[in-house]
Amino acid sequence: MSQPASSRNGIADIPAGQLRTRAEEAASVLPPLLVQAQQLAGAVLLGEHGRRRSGVGDDFWQYRPVQQGDSRRMIDHRRSARGDQQFVREREWQIAQTVHLWVDQGQSMRFASDTNLPRKIDRARLLSLAAAVLMIRGGERVGLTGGQLPPRRGNMQVLRMAQHFTDDDDTPYAPPEHRALIPHARALFVSDFLGPFEELEIALTKAADRGLRGVLLQVLDPSEELFPFAGRTRFEGPGNGVTHETLKASALRDRYLERLAERRDALERLCRAAGWTLGLHHTGDSAQSGLLWLYHALERRQ
Amino acid sequence: MTMIAGIGFASPWLLLGLLVLPILWLLLRAIPPAPKRQPFPAVTLLLGLKDDESLSDRTPWWLLLLRMLAVAAAIIGLSGPVLNPVQEHGGSGPLLIVMDSGWGGAPNWEQNRAQIEAELSEAGRAGRPVAMLRLTAPEPLQFLAAAQWTRQLAGMTPAPWVAAPAQVATALDVISETDGGFDTLWLSDGVEMQGRSDLVTALAERGEIDVYESGAPVIGLLPATYEDGLIVLHAARSTAGLAQEATVQALGPDPSGTERALASATLEFDAAAHHTEAQLALPMELRARISRFEILNTRSAGAVSLTDDRLRRREVALISAQSSDEGLALLSPLHYLRQALEPTAELLEGALSDLLPANPDVVVLADVARLAPAQEKALIDWVDQGGLLLRFAGPRLAASDTARDTEEPLMPVRLRIGGRSIGGAMSWGEPKALAPFGEGSPFYGLEIPQEVTISSQVMAQPDPELASRVVAELSDGTPLVTRKPLGQGQVILFHVTANAEWSTLPLSGLFVEMLERLAVSSAAKPPVADDLEGTTWQAAEVLDGFGRLTDADTLAGVAGPDLVEAPSGPELQPGLYTSGSRAYARNVLREGDDVLPTSWPASVPVMTYEGADERPLGGLLLGAALVMLALDIAAALLVSGLWSPARTAAIFLMSGLMLGVPQEMLAQSVTTPTDLTAELTLAHVLTGDAKTDRITSEGLQGLSNVLTLRTSIEPAPPYGVDLETDELAFFPFLYWPVTEGQPLPSSDAYAKLNAYLRTGGMILFDTRDADLAQAGATSNAARRLQQLALPLDIPPLEPLPADHVLTRAFYLLQDFPGRHPRGQIWVEAAPEDAEQVEGLPFRNLNDGVTPVVIGGNDWAAAWAVDQDNAPLYPVGRGFAGERQRELARRFGVNLLMHVLTGNYKSDQVHVPALLDRLGQ
Repeated sequence: MSQPASSRNGIADIPAGQLRTRAEEAASVLPPLLVQAQQLAGAVLLGEHGRRRSGVGDDFWQYRPVQQGDSRRMIDHRRSARGDQQFVREREWQIAQTVHLWVDQGQSMRFASDTNLPRKIDRARLLSLAAAVLMIRGGERVGLTGGQLPPRRGNMQVLRMAQHFTDDDDTPYAPPEHRALIPHARALFVSDFLGPFEELEIALTKAADRGLRGVLLQVLDPSEELFPFAGRTRFEGPGNGVTHETLKASALRDRYLERLAERRDALERLCRAAGWTLGLHHTGDSAQSGLLWLYHALERRQ
Repeated sequence: MTMIAGIGFASPWLLLGLLVLPILWLLLRAIPPAPKRQPFPAVTLLLGLKDDESLSDRTPWWLLLLRMLAVAAAIIGLSGPVLNPVQEHGGSGPLLIVMDSGWGGAPNWEQNRAQIEAELSEAGRAGRPVAMLRLTAPEPLQFLAAAQWTRQLAGMTPAPWVAAPAQVATALDVISETDGGFDTLWLSDGVEMQGRSDLVTALAERGEIDVYESGAPVIGLLPATYEDGLIVLHAARSTAGLAQEATVQALGPDPSGTERALASATLEFDAAAHHTEAQLALPMELRARISRFEILNTRSAGAVSLTDDRLRRREVALISAQSSDEGLALLSPLHYLRQALEPTAELLEGALSDLLPANPDVVVLADVARLAPAQEKALIDWVDQGGLLLRFAGPRLAASDTARDTEEPLMPVRLRIGGRSIGGAMSWGEPKALAPFGEGSPFYGLEIPQEVTISSQVMAQPDPELASRVVAELSDGTPLVTRKPLGQGQVILFHVTANAEWSTLPLSGLFVEMLERLAVSSAAKPPVADDLEGTTWQAAEVLDGFGRLTDADTLAGVAGPDLVEAPSGPELQPGLYTSGSRAYARNVLREGDDVLPTSWPASVPVMTYEGADERPLGGLLLGAALVMLALDIAAALLVSGLWSPARTAAIFLMSGLMLGVPQEMLAQSVTTPTDLTAELTLAHVLTGDAKTDRITSEGLQGLSNVLTLRTSIEPAPPYGVDLETDELAFFPFLYWPVTEGQPLPSSDAYAKLNAYLRTGGMILFDTRDADLAQAGATSNAARRLQQLALPLDIPPLEPLPADHVLTRAFYLLQDFPGRHPRGQIWVEAAPEDAEQVEGLPFRNLNDGVTPVVIGGNDWAAAWAVDQDNAPLYPVGRGFAGERQRELARRFGVNLLMHVLTGNYKSDQVHVPALLDRLGQ
């Protein structure tokens, strides 16, 4: 009689209360992320809306005079009846694009140099989710790479995506996921791109092969950009794997910054070769600016 | 001891250790602190980067400096540095240390002692034999090793007097008895004494004299006097020259008996003044409490002024049998008493029953023969507890049969019928004079004026105890004043009237003096030696040199005149003296005394104390070294990133906030009487059982909600009443859940509860056991209720009758369930003569609200709701249970209506009958 209920039901050792606590803890991440993302997206939509070009769609775009080559059935008689000239009613161009997202969930992303700053992974998730919200509102199909979450449209997709974003990956530097990419779609890779460069090369090459174009967004902590260290320091990489000890950290700054610039150049070159866009975001900046850049970058070359 | 830069070092060679510091500097500099651990994902970019060898990091200079300082402090600290080390001055041969050792030196006693100690240790090092002579208690000189005196030094204390001529003479004898020469070191108090120059001369013959004197003025407090309703404090100081201020505190017991400062005044000496005074206006009650005045922060017997009866005015209740008659003021039995006592005592006049509760010091009954039995008993109790009853004879007493056959408690002797009259028109003899007062009499020593004659008196029956009770008699041996102790107090009978009818005694000054001796009045002026002639005084408490009161254990008694006139000394120590019920404060300084500065011949060098004491610095430096090492730990942790001051501060801040929160919450829960009276508040008695109290509070909250919703009663949130501390008058209704373990309230609380019930409060007792006690079984709670209610003033009870107003005060109810249905409810029984009016369903019961309702249905649990107004505890089952809860609420509404509107509904039922009678 005194046995706990859980063992009678055959559930493993986690007591029911604890399980519930954990579940709630995990679930509690979702709503704030979603709300933040929606808010962020709302702020962007306020200023920028529509495709601003004529095309196939449901919404009215403009009336233009009939030109040579327009078939007669294209004439809008209601408008034309008001005067002598004949007009054609054009609709706004609307087309569904497929966008693949990949957000680095690796350990290297779980870092913030200051308690007042968000972790890189939090900012990356927020930006990606907000971009996803924007794109889904724009009618695009959004999904994750790797077949975990195939591109779909509709608000449910945002929820599913948020759910996937709660999974942490224990790999120190997660390689980009490049499987299950739909040809000629668009892609958004968000990471700090501090891991092995070859993996990224392979992923981008493969994507380019399939005709994908997209955006690489590098999210960095301010300390990674500025290297504000001095004195005897032991730098520890994610997952206790890689360490580097120095007697005078301040002397390393210039050479570190040099290497960082090199890495960025390499990324730039890679992007140019593959036809992608490279962006940089610091967790110290506002998420709004990051999202605006992202929005424009994704908007470009539609 | 080696001196370096004004600082002496016990072991200076240790300072060589400081040479190690540069080496240490190099060593520490080469060893950098532990690396700081820094999580950094971009470490991949750093891999392979080599440190520039020449740039290897070193310990920060400030950390290095800190460590150097710590080590240096430790080295210097261990070498035993001493600030202001005592420098020896020469001298050889025997040394005599003379101390004034009076009260004037008490404030500097520690300094004195330190000085002597230093001198003794120096003499010890030089191998000089030392003798000590205290002028206040001179003893034959003994030249001993200095170390022996050092041991005795701790036991020496200053005396509370200045050496008198007798003691100076003894000292001179002692010096002359000693052979050989010696040097003298004299520690003076700064207060002049008679014969100092003789001593100086005698000592100068034997060798050199050095004098130490602090040089600061010595302040003494003279006895306080009482003038025109103000206490005047006098003070004197030895040397003028600087304006000076001193605070005087009046100390005495507060109402709870603890001694505390009752008032304070500031004495301000002008620059040139030797004397000053301050005035203090205090109410009578406070003045009577003062036991002594003290100059703040001056530990000396001279800075203490004890007070005796002089500041205290006794309260005397005057009672006479006659009604006041305006025309016959001079014949009033109380007239001469009033005149005699007015200047020195507070007079109370009125009826005895009104005056006794004021607890006067003395009750005077002038020609009162009989008292009502209750008054007599009260008076006996009062005398028993230390009161002084003073009775005067008179025609009524002579004519009554008071104390004829048996001795009465309030009469010292048995009286003969009628008294006697001598020297009148109808008698043979001459008026009698007083016989001299006997030695055991309190009047012993008073001079008897010739003109005092006695013409009538009441006579005492001869009894075995008569002789011992007579304190004054006439020349023919008949008693004039008799006295007997009763409990702690006494009863005194003057066998004559208090007016001039029977004797001329009240016309003489002797009358006043006699009253004074009997402590009926207290003298406003200090007594002179003649006043105290013939009295013996016993020290009750004496002052020591520091001004502390100590018990006078076995000091011999002092004759009255000596007490006033003789100088203080071992035989007459300053302190509080008593004789019978009188008290006399003998202070160090008497009225008119001066504090004179010492005068030394020019040949004698006078030194003040050494400017600063020898002060070892080792501990200080070692402590500093420890602190610096602790700082070094913190700094090392900080440098290696293992500790962040900000985070620690945050933790401290958090814990501070956590500690702060409960206090805030407590502060919120305090309800002031203003809050309680602003709104109607339902109250419940706190039982001490947290769960019961919570349920009751929730229940009353539920009932409040129901009342607010359904009636015009809108109560404030319920209040838990602590019977011991809270005022009950604010609450019309008390809910009292009875628990088994509830402590019985104190008698004060019961007095409050009875007053509450008498003034129209209602208590609902709920034993919460109707499920158990239904069949007549007595539960534990019910038994407890019996114990609780036993001291309460509760009228006879009966089970709630069907026509009680509770059944129709708001709702029509016949059943009063709570959580338990149908328990018996008891209310105040209806009057016997209640009759049922013809044609009406109710009896005529419109009288009073029942003060108690007793039941066991646990209504609070049925009423209890949470914050969302949802019921908290189950009642019954299903819909029937909800109905029961509703009925419980209705009972609550009816009860409160009954409490607040009384028998209004009971009256209303008669309206039809009244209308009918009026013919409407």
